[in-house]
Amino acid sequence: MPTDKRLMGLFKDPDQVIEALKAFKASTWSVVRVHGPIPNHKIAHALDLPKSKVGYFTLAGGIIGFFFGFFFAAYNSIQWELIVSGKPVVALVPFFIVGFEFTILFSVFGNVIGLINVGGLPDYEGLAEYDPRCSGDHYGITVAYAPDSEEELRRFFQERGAEISDFSVRPQTV
Amino acid sequence: MSELTFNQVDQTVLNSLKPPGKSYWALIALLFAGVLMGASCWLYQIFVGVGVAGMNNPVAWGTYLINFVFWVGIAHSGTLISAILHLFRAGWRNPIARAAETMTVFAVCTAGLFPFIHLGRAWMVYFMLPFPNQRNLWPNFQSPLMFDVVAISTYLTVSSLFWYTGMLPDLAIVRDNATGFRKKVFTVLSMGWTGRFEQWRHYTRGYLFFAALATPLVISVHSVVSWDFALGVVPGWHTTIFAPYFVAGAIHSGLAMVITLMIPLRRIFGYQQIITIHVLEAVAKTIVFTGLIVGFAYGTEFFIAWYSHNPLEQYIFAWRPTGDYAVGFWIMAICNTMIPLLYLFKKVRTNIAALFIISLVVNVGMWYERFVIIITSVARDFIPHNWGLFSPSLVEYGIMIGSFSLFFFLFCLFVKHMPAVSMTEVKEMLE
Repeated sequence: MPTDKRLMGLFKDPDQVIEALKAFKASTWSVVRVHGPIPNHKIAHALDLPKSKVGYFTLAGGIIGFFFGFFFAAYNSIQWELIVSGKPVVALVPFFIVGFEFTILFSVFGNVIGLINVGGLPDYEGLAEYDPRCSGDHYGITVAYAPDSEEELRRFFQERGAEISDFSVRPQTV
Repeated sequence: MSELTFNQVDQTVLNSLKPPGKSYWALIALLFAGVLMGASCWLYQIFVGVGVAGMNNPVAWGTYLINFVFWVGIAHSGTLISAILHLFRAGWRNPIARAAETMTVFAVCTAGLFPFIHLGRAWMVYFMLPFPNQRNLWPNFQSPLMFDVVAISTYLTVSSLFWYTGMLPDLAIVRDNATGFRKKVFTVLSMGWTGRFEQWRHYTRGYLFFAALATPLVISVHSVVSWDFALGVVPGWHTTIFAPYFVAGAIHSGLAMVITLMIPLRRIFGYQQIITIHVLEAVAKTIVFTGLIVGFAYGTEFFIAWYSHNPLEQYIFAWRPTGDYAVGFWIMAICNTMIPLLYLFKKVRTNIAALFIISLVVNVGMWYERFVIIITSVARDFIPHNWGLFSPSLVEYGIMIGSFSLFFFLFCLFVKHMPAVSMTEVKEMLE
């Protein structure tokens, strides 16, 4: 039952987070997001997060980079058709090295573009519904709830040993 | 280490970012004076001409190229630690990964200055850039020097992006513990990082790709640097062993520099519980390994010179340990291959003073390795009447001191203003 109201439960133990996430799946509340100081595969698995698509950007960058590097070197050589050391004007081995370096460079550019694009960075608006303890030693589960279930949700968190961080009403930004 | 809590890790690193005292600023001022001295020497060379350096005919590549190779080498272990050991899941690299990666970025910046300095007329650097100028002069990408331009630029760009991306979660920790203007600065720098698992999902994937891409890059970069020499037909340079030999040497020197930097860092900032003796021991063991590879490469060079029956090769390898630069050769051989073997003894590996002194000795030895490779081969090449010796001029010494000052100046500024230990990766290690 998604609403505008949000509440964050702060846990210290990742196992408690996983237990809480399992309980939320069976409840009427919806988990908006989970924050943590470090990545955790078990939590990611409990959230059913799909595989990241950053790799596609990296791969695309690499393919573009290789062809760009190779043909860039060849283009330069064709501008000045001077045979050096008996090698052909468009020499495969040396230009492959240039192609290799550009493969790495453009793959990394693709990787960064992918991180920015699918990772949603920069995300300054996300700071509005964030508790600074989540970068320290707490895991935070933000939950959307209907106004009449607030007390029940607070009790749910407290029973599982969580501290509560309250947000004012904000638009949903999943 | 396992007794530490997440909060203690954060507090230890955050304490290092508190406003520095007078001694810190005195050190910064001293290093800045060194940078100014180097810059003055370079300016003097630009105004008077590259003849003020000791380079001559036949030794046209002097300390500028030695320092270039030395600093590129120093850069390499940063990527080894942050990327290659990340792929191998070597947990001990986590506490030193950030400082090593920082070392990489600043060492490449320092190295990148030397081709400009070596040019003499630094403004002629545009000859290496591909654009249609009035002379229709296009760069020749069949030259290893052009590979170098591409490789070093790529390495600097990739290392910087890897370094910054790796810092994002830590910048968020600093932001969350800062107030006022500092908070605003770190809010911008951390790009609104909140540690959402949606962010971690992409971040961990992206970081893995960074590591996977940096690994072949780091090997290719020093291979390309070695081809600057190996693709010339000069005796002592023209050998196929150069690429792996240079890569191993680079990692050897870089690891030594890591110990040189980590020991004062952990003492000054109280990182003893994070950068433990176990971490330093692991670096020392790796130095033994790389030292053995380097020693094997030295031996192979001599063996191939003898086995080839090439009189020019045989002459140069007989001259290196006995000729005018024999002192440099023996410093190289002893400091890089024999002294690091002391790290085989646990008592030495666990003694901070011994660790530090041996790391300095290896740094000196590796500088001399580049000296021996670069100078001796061209000082005694094919035509005896063209033989000549080289000794650095005062201007070269000034620029060399300037380069060391610049590196330590940038590093000292970084460790006091940014998280020099990756809090996130240390926490991952504790988990």
